[in-house]
Amino acid sequence: MNLVRKSICDGVNFSNIKDNRFKTGRVSITVFVPLDKDKVAQNAILPFLLSKTCEKYPDLKNLNDRLENLYGVSVGAEVSKLGEVQVLSISATFLEDEYSLQKENIAQGAVDLLCQMFFYPVLEGMAFLGENVEQEKRQLIEMIESEYNDKRVFAKNKCEQWMCKDEKFGINRLGTVEQVKSLTGQEIFDAWLNMLSSAKIEITLLGKADSEKVYERFRDEFSKVKRTNVVACATKIIKRAGKISEYADVMNVSQSKLVMGFRTEVSADDELVNAMRVAVAIFGATPYSKLFLNVREKYSLCYYCSAKYDKNKGIMMVQSGVENENIDRAKEEILNQLEEVKRGNFTEEDMQAIKRSMTNSFRTVGDYLSSMENFYLSQIFDKNKVTTDELIEKIKKVTKSEVITAANMITLDTVYVLKGKARP
Amino acid sequence: MVKLEEINSERLHDKYYRVKHKSGLKVYIYPKEGYNSSYAILGAKVGSIDTTFKIPGKAENIVVPDGIAHYLEHKLFESEEGDAFAEYAKTGASANAYTSFDMTGYLFSCTEDFDKSLKILIDFVQSPYFTEKTVKKEQGIIGQEIKMYEDDPSWQVMFNLLKAMYHNHPVKKDIAGTVESIAKINADNLYEVYNNFYNLNNMTLCIAGKVNPVEILNILDEKLKPSYNMVPETIFAKEPYEIVKQRVEQRFPISMPLFQLGFKENASKGRMTIEESTQTDIILSVLASKSSKLYNDLINKGLINDSFGYECFEGPGYLASIFSGESRDPDKVAEIIKERVTELHAKGIVEEDFERAKKSIYGKSVSLLNSAENIANVMLTLDFADKELFEAVECIANTSLIDVNERLKSQLDVSNCSLSVVAPEDGSLNI
Repeated sequence: MNLVRKSICDGVNFSNIKDNRFKTGRVSITVFVPLDKDKVAQNAILPFLLSKTCEKYPDLKNLNDRLENLYGVSVGAEVSKLGEVQVLSISATFLEDEYSLQKENIAQGAVDLLCQMFFYPVLEGMAFLGENVEQEKRQLIEMIESEYNDKRVFAKNKCEQWMCKDEKFGINRLGTVEQVKSLTGQEIFDAWLNMLSSAKIEITLLGKADSEKVYERFRDEFSKVKRTNVVACATKIIKRAGKISEYADVMNVSQSKLVMGFRTEVSADDELVNAMRVAVAIFGATPYSKLFLNVREKYSLCYYCSAKYDKNKGIMMVQSGVENENIDRAKEEILNQLEEVKRGNFTEEDMQAIKRSMTNSFRTVGDYLSSMENFYLSQIFDKNKVTTDELIEKIKKVTKSEVITAANMITLDTVYVLKGKARP
Repeated sequence: MVKLEEINSERLHDKYYRVKHKSGLKVYIYPKEGYNSSYAILGAKVGSIDTTFKIPGKAENIVVPDGIAHYLEHKLFESEEGDAFAEYAKTGASANAYTSFDMTGYLFSCTEDFDKSLKILIDFVQSPYFTEKTVKKEQGIIGQEIKMYEDDPSWQVMFNLLKAMYHNHPVKKDIAGTVESIAKINADNLYEVYNNFYNLNNMTLCIAGKVNPVEILNILDEKLKPSYNMVPETIFAKEPYEIVKQRVEQRFPISMPLFQLGFKENASKGRMTIEESTQTDIILSVLASKSSKLYNDLINKGLINDSFGYECFEGPGYLASIFSGESRDPDKVAEIIKERVTELHAKGIVEEDFERAKKSIYGKSVSLLNSAENIANVMLTLDFADKELFEAVECIANTSLIDVNERLKSQLDVSNCSLSVVAPEDGSLNI
């Protein structure tokens, strides 16, 4: 993965990964802003609103005619969280020119569209067009509500929200239904202007397209924008859990969900970050981890039970789906298995197996455009940025005693249970 | 050594190899220059719909419990020596398996020691080991898998639709079966399904990514056990053309209602040809893609959101066009879709819409060839439907408007469709 990064202007960078292996190319604009409870909703609506229309193609139908005529350019709009940073992105994935039926210029067409969307939205005076705003407000509200439909996602979000209720991390990345309802075209316009003038922005181009041309295009667009001081983003890490908090909701579901949130003391820039990655994987991230082998295979308590480490916030979440009457047993067994890792009850061979599995997944990153982009952007705030190969080397060097040290820094903070009651 | 047949595509600047191994196994190998990873999937043509079958030369039908193909998939990972996952742990491969309506696939992806992982795959799929004890143990795990799907409204809305469309076809039954049906599964009936369907003549291996075809053939020669060419025939009860019910609804603890609208179609002629399947894709795209009049109407009226989608749902003995999504008013959505279908039937598809749909579908199909995983999975699905990858892409480039309009006449019968709705419970509290 050969990445070339250039500055466009203060706080705005352009990165190019030249790669000839793929049938498609990809261009994306990613915006990083602090997660702020009063601004979260007006920021969250931006990618969706911007990616649906623009001055040149003022309604959804015009824009989609154009996208489909360009061999189905796939436009993505996303809002995610990187620690306590709200990440807004719009992207276009397009067929490389050489595969078009009549050798058309798709790449530059897709770049042009993305620029049109980002820099030239449909406005009325100093506000986004009212009917477009109402349309996206409705859809954003439906998106927030549909997260309640998926009980796995719902239970995990609930646990995170309770665990981090006094931290920015506990803020829903999309805002609340009430916040979205009250948004106005002016507020969103202001959020857009703020983003253009002061947010940290990363533009990435992957594939065969002429990167000079694309770079020039973005530089030209940003030369029309007045940039001010770039807003700083930071994530607060709580090192250890205090008293264990327990929360539960009861619902008409067949299967109960158990989610456990842990503090790990270790985040992206810490020495032990890779030891923590290995520790969490030995504990519960693969089919030969302790959670799978014991909670699932040995005791048949569940279909899924796994642990996930978030290096940006320094937390670990364990998720499982179990019978009501087995909730306590599962919880006990999960903690039991964590103790096993803390005591060093795993063999050198267990650790090698986990390292091979991690090596495998980091190496596979290079075979997918979006994984390469993600891998790179997920480190954007890290002091020491690494390539996949460098990361693999670091993982290989992790010792058993480092894993034990890391595991012993993990403390249980919050337990959330979504309890099933028999459906009538 | 068996012969490698090379299939080239000038349009795609790619090639793959096709092999019929002497053991009976069909093999596709698609090298991707410069890739770090390789992906392999070994598929058996047996899925949830194969619960009544007949062995050539025998008179009586064999009936097995619902969900047995999926149960077998779980149990095959265990052999007398241990668990296949423990073997994969030695190579670092990421392994998995899945069961669908008409097939079961065992797969892995790896970046080193491909030959070792391929041997593990071929070995464990050829070494069934079921005892009453190991079978029993799985009931708790699969029971929880079934319950997880019971709580999944998007899964339920689909099976409710299938039940509303199909009188007899087993496609209407949940892939994993029910807690009751899996209680009837034992070592004997697992062996019965295994011995009949896991015949190499009824299986296909697809590999893509960083691969060496000659090395693969050597492994196959070493590992594959020859098998008799005797493939069972699945027996389906006669399925009427007509749907069962026009509308079904289930209440769930959710806040956004979900719907699926299915137009049941005649599937008695056997599997669709590549041409038919391409024509249908174009019809559905013209009708409901984001540039369609229908999609824009529904969005502008506030009736659908980004989750809206459509598909041609097709397999042995079943064929339907299905529209799905979230909506505050699913009945209104269904009404508007039917109106628009009627209009399309009356006016036919025009050149401009056809060209746009064709380009878009072509672009999306070529994009699939980025990923080794997609390539191998698609090659397998196509092979089980007697089709092939490059033919499918070529067919999109060469399809004609006249044929598409001709096909439209036999599809999307507004008098033969069912609506499935999953709605919020009355007074359910949004936490």
